[in-house]
Order: sequence, then C-alpha cells, then structure tokens
Amino acid sequence: MLVVDDVTKRFGSLLALDAVGFTVEPGSVVGFLGPNGAGKTTTMRAIMGLITVDAGSVSWQGRRIDDAVRQRFGYMPAERGMYQRMKVRDHLVYYARLSGLTASAAGTAADNWLERLSLTGRGGDTVQSLSSGNQQRVQLALALLNEPELLVLDEPFSGLDPIAVEMLSDVLREQVANGVALLLSSHQLDLVADVCNAVVIVDRGRVVLQGDVNQLRASSQERTVEVEFATAVESVWPHAEVSDDGRRHRLTVADSVDPSVLFDQARAHGTLIGYAYAPPDLSDVFLRAVGRTTLEPAEQRSGHDVPDAGVAQ
Amino acid sequence: MKRREVIQLVAAREISQRLRAKSFYIGTGLLIAIILAVGLISRFAGGDDAPADIAVAVVADPAELTVSADVVEATVRDTAAVVDRGATVEFFPDFDAAQQALEDGDVDVVLHPAERQAVFQDDIDDEVLAVVQQAWAQVEVRDRLGAAGLDPEQITGALAVAPLTGVALDGEDDVSGLAMLTGTMAAVLLFISLQTFGTYVLTGVVEEKSSAVVEVLLVRAKADEMLAGKIIGIGIAGLAQFALAILASMASLALSGTSVPPEVWSALPMTIVWFLGGFALYSTLFALAGSLVSRQEDAQAAAAPIMYALVAAYMLVFVFGYVPDSTASRVMSLIPPITPLLMPMRMAAGAASVVEVVVAVVLLLAAITGAWKLAARIYEQVLLRRGSRITWRDATRLLRSQRNDL
Repeated sequence: MLVVDDVTKRFGSLLALDAVGFTVEPGSVVGFLGPNGAGKTTTMRAIMGLITVDAGSVSWQGRRIDDAVRQRFGYMPAERGMYQRMKVRDHLVYYARLSGLTASAAGTAADNWLERLSLTGRGGDTVQSLSSGNQQRVQLALALLNEPELLVLDEPFSGLDPIAVEMLSDVLREQVANGVALLLSSHQLDLVADVCNAVVIVDRGRVVLQGDVNQLRASSQERTVEVEFATAVESVWPHAEVSDDGRRHRLTVADSVDPSVLFDQARAHGTLIGYAYAPPDLSDVFLRAVGRTTLEPAEQRSGHDVPDAGVAQ
Repeated sequence: MKRREVIQLVAAREISQRLRAKSFYIGTGLLIAIILAVGLISRFAGGDDAPADIAVAVVADPAELTVSADVVEATVRDTAAVVDRGATVEFFPDFDAAQQALEDGDVDVVLHPAERQAVFQDDIDDEVLAVVQQAWAQVEVRDRLGAAGLDPEQITGALAVAPLTGVALDGEDDVSGLAMLTGTMAAVLLFISLQTFGTYVLTGVVEEKSSAVVEVLLVRAKADEMLAGKIIGIGIAGLAQFALAILASMASLALSGTSVPPEVWSALPMTIVWFLGGFALYSTLFALAGSLVSRQEDAQAAAAPIMYALVAAYMLVFVFGYVPDSTASRVMSLIPPITPLLMPMRMAAGAASVVEVVVAVVLLLAAITGAWKLAARIYEQVLLRRGSRITWRDATRLLRSQRNDL
C-alpha cells in the first residue's frame, strides 16, 4: 500500500502542499483530482522522490521510499519526456536497463510492450516521427517496462483521442487486475471518475474530499433533474436552466424531493423523451465543497505545479 | 543499480548516439583529410624542405684548366653538400652561351672566372653564391698549389678539411618554425575539439531538460550520475576523433619529409592528455550552463561565459605560445582553463620543463574537481526547474540555499 502521510512542501513563501495524506491499495485505482495548480504534480514528484518534502512521509508496503523501492514504481510525468531523435525500441531498452533489467530482459520487455501497445514495426522509427498518440503509448510503455507494483501517472489522458483513451484504459485495467496500485491525476474531475475506485480531490495544496466516487456524489444534499421534451415547452420550474431550443430543462433540488413528483410535473407540460435524476457531478461536489463557482485556478497559485511554468524566485 | 552501472549505461547511450550521427564521420573524415593534405602539399610544393640541386655553369674550356673538369665538379658538389644540397656543373666555352642557359632557367648561376663574377638571373641567392665562392676558391688554391709543384694527391690531402659544425650556445632561444607550426596545429585541433564536443554536452543537457525526459530519467538515476555518464560518453567519442586527428598529424609530419625534432614527436601524443583535461573542465561547465536553461534558443547565451573563456585561451596561444620561454607564457600555461591550449605549444618548442607540466596537470585536475562539485550540486537542483532561464547569479544563490527550495 502507498501511504502518503501529511506531506508538506513549501516553495519559498508558497505552501504548495499542506499536510496531504491518502493511501492507494494494490489492485485499486485512485484518481488524484483537482484544478491546475492544486498540488497534484508536486505530490506525485514527492512520491517519486524527485523532490524532498519539508514534513510528512511517503512509504510503500511499510518502507520509506529509497532508490531500491522506487525501482518497483512506474512513472509518467505530466509533460511527455523522451529523446525525440532516439529510436523507439532503443529508447525502451535504454530505460528498461536503467530500471534494472538485464540487456536480454530489457529487449524482451521492449518488444513485448511494443506489441501490446500496437506499436510493432515502429521500434526502428525515431520518437519524433510518431504521432502524439503513439508517443503517448511509448511514454506509457516506459512506465510499464519494469512491471511496476505502483504506477504513478500524471495526467495520462490529457490530449488523447477517444480511441487512445480506450486503449490506455484497457491496459491500465489489466495492470490493476494483476494487483498493481494505480494513482492517476487529472484536472478534468469527471473524466476519470468512472475508472477510479476512489478519488482524492485537492485544492490549493490541501485534500478537500476523498473517498468512493459514488458515495461522494450521493453524500451531496442536492440532486440534478434533467428532462427533455419532444417540442419546445414553456417554463416548467421557475429556477430551471432551459436550453435555447426550449426542449431541455435542468433543475437542482434538495435530495429530500421525491423524483416521481418532479417527473409528474414535467409530464404535465408536454411529451417527454428523456428524464434523468442523479446526484451532482464530481466537479459540482468539489465546487460546493470549496465554495467556488469555477475550476479555474486561483490567480496567486497558478504555475506552481504546472510543469512548464516558470517558478518565481 | 550501482552508480558505475548507471554511469556506464548513460555513457554507452551517448556514444551510440554520437556514432550514429553521420556528421561525426563526415567531421572526422574531413579533419583527417585536411591534416594529411597539409603534409602532402608541403612535401611536393615546399621547395624549402626538399631543396633542388644547384646547377652551376662555368665559363671556361676544361682543356685550358690545370685542374681537371672532374675535380671542379667534385669540389662544387662537396661544397654544396655542406648546406645539404646537390650540385651539377656544366662548362660553356663562352659567356653568351652560359647566359642563355641562365636565362632559360637551365642553370642557377654562371661562374665567370675571367671576370671573377658569379652571375645570377634575378636576385642573388646568398647560399648559392657562398657555395660557388667557396668552391671556386678551392679550385684556385688547388690550381696554385699545382703550379707550386705539389702533386694532386698531396693537394687533396692538404685541402681535406672537415667543415665546421654549427652549434648554438643558447639553443633554447632558437624555437624552430616546425615546433611553432606543430604547437599551433595542436592548439587549433584542441580548440575545435573542445568547442565541438563541449557544445554536444551543452545541447545534450538542454535537450534532456527541455524535453522533460530528465524527469523520467531522474526516477531511475541520480543527477550526478547522468551528468558523469554524459560527459564520459561524449568525451570518449570526442577522444576517438581527436586521437585520430593527432595520429593523422603525426602521419602528416612524416609525409612532409621534414626532419622532426624529438620534442615535437613527444608533444603530440601529450595533447591527448590536454584534450582529456580540457574536455573534462570545459564540458562540465558547459553542462552546468545547459542545466540553467529550458530551451535550445537560450543555450548559447547561457554558455557564452564559458565559450568566451575557451576562445580567450585559444587567442592567448598566439600571444604567449610564440614566446614559450617568457615568464608570462610560463605563468599563463599553468592557469587551468588556458593550460590545455597553451601547453602543447610550449612543449613542442621544448620550453616546458617536466616540473611545469606536472604542476599544470595537478592544477588542471584541481580545477576539474572544483568544477565538478559545483556542477553536480547545482545540476540536481535546477533540472526540474523549467521555464525562464536561471541566471548565473541565481545559480550561485542556489549553492547557499537548501536543496529544492526554489
């Protein structure tokens, strides 16, 4: 089990991580969510030993993370990092060897992952000649070459097309089924909620919510009702949001309101072709929890865990 | 994994990347071709190195001479041999015919005993003049001794005087042109190699930082291991090219047909030591400069101070290298960033004592150690710091601050 215990990190006057704590069990997926600049990348770098923390600790299976323990991890940084002019297979073999594999095992692992990620035949091409989707696959392969026990993936889905997302999800599901602990981050809260057993939501360096996705959503005191009519309908409920064509109406109500009553009210106004009653999205739960109306990062925090942003001295 | 294994892996990657680039082979081939061409050209075009025979026309009828034509010819040849040249002698019955031969370029000088003149076409060649004067003086002495009644054998015995050997008391002042040429060539090669392979280190570091590959690598290797592997790997590729260039230089010297003093022969292989020392020092600093920027466009600006130092050291060779015995030259050649470029010149001239060379090596090693410690400390702190360029002043501040506390 990965235990992140009260990790605190300061960059000058900025408190980047404020007692962040959570766990990831083997064979489970934890989504590490939050807006840009919340501290996700800093936390992941702390787990991978890329930065030292000011307070708190990180451990894996009860051991402090040192070089030997880290060799059992797989890591994919938010920004894709590869030697652009190196051949794909050479790159994989090189990294596998740095990960402690022998020359022959590294070759086998490289060929194996090229095949599993549908890159067979591309091993002799340079990284830069691949499409961004294929580069992403190679980047993922780098994290998987050493058959890691813990996978730390920073924004693995960003910039991927739906087919690539599906492929990546399949590979990750298989890893988790084999007992791998998976921590993945995303600034798009609702996108990854489906694949996660649990989520940890951070904001401004602090954990604001964590737990099972459905429980978090269900624990909300609100419910969302959405109805769709065959033709445009005048206002059903005074506070509802109505689409431009007047056919779709959306209303937020207290969880004590009986959904069948709302259904009857809607049906009385016209022919229904759709009706939905559900707890709010994770992002809505998050916004309610932090008392904000937008996921945009607060001004003074921007740029501190976005990898390509400058760090103010 | 052990440190050594990590460094080996990193170095092996650098070497294979270098050896895969066509430019490496083209550059090496071109360098060697140029060096060999210099040697070949000086062999065939350089008249100074392989002097032609002196063709002498004598205006006289051999039958009228008391000294035989063979003796005249032998005397001229022996005299010319003193200045390492061959000689031919041709007799002309009258001056006009001899003059024609001179104008046609068939002979170098016309010896006109009747007028007591040595006639040249354009400029008077002092060496040729000295040879014919000396030779003719002997012929006349021989003639007079013969007239005095000595037989030819007695005359030959009386004239058999070994020529004087030239000796310079203060030999060190006489720096040969060849030593200067070799030292200059070594400095040029060192400059090219240090600049080329130092730039490879610079761009390699920036490539890793700008592409964020460094973040993936740092999970598996320490910053100083990556730095060491990179410098060693590129250094080995550079050494291979440099050693080939030095071998080519020695072959070129041999090809030129010039007689090469021993200190020049020993100075050339020593340049490999200077290359290694210079590369270790400069490439460490280039790596440090590269680690401060996140974009290739900023690399040159960050590396400018180091590039200036290298160029300055190179320029100093042309000031102090030509006065290798001066105190200034002596002191300059002990300053670590200058040593690798200036020392080969002083060694080729035979001006650097063993003690000086040892001191220079020790100081260079100390400088490399210092540069390495500095680079390794800054390197690990700035590799993950992306974005705007970190100034050298920021970097020195980092040395005092806590790790990662940026």
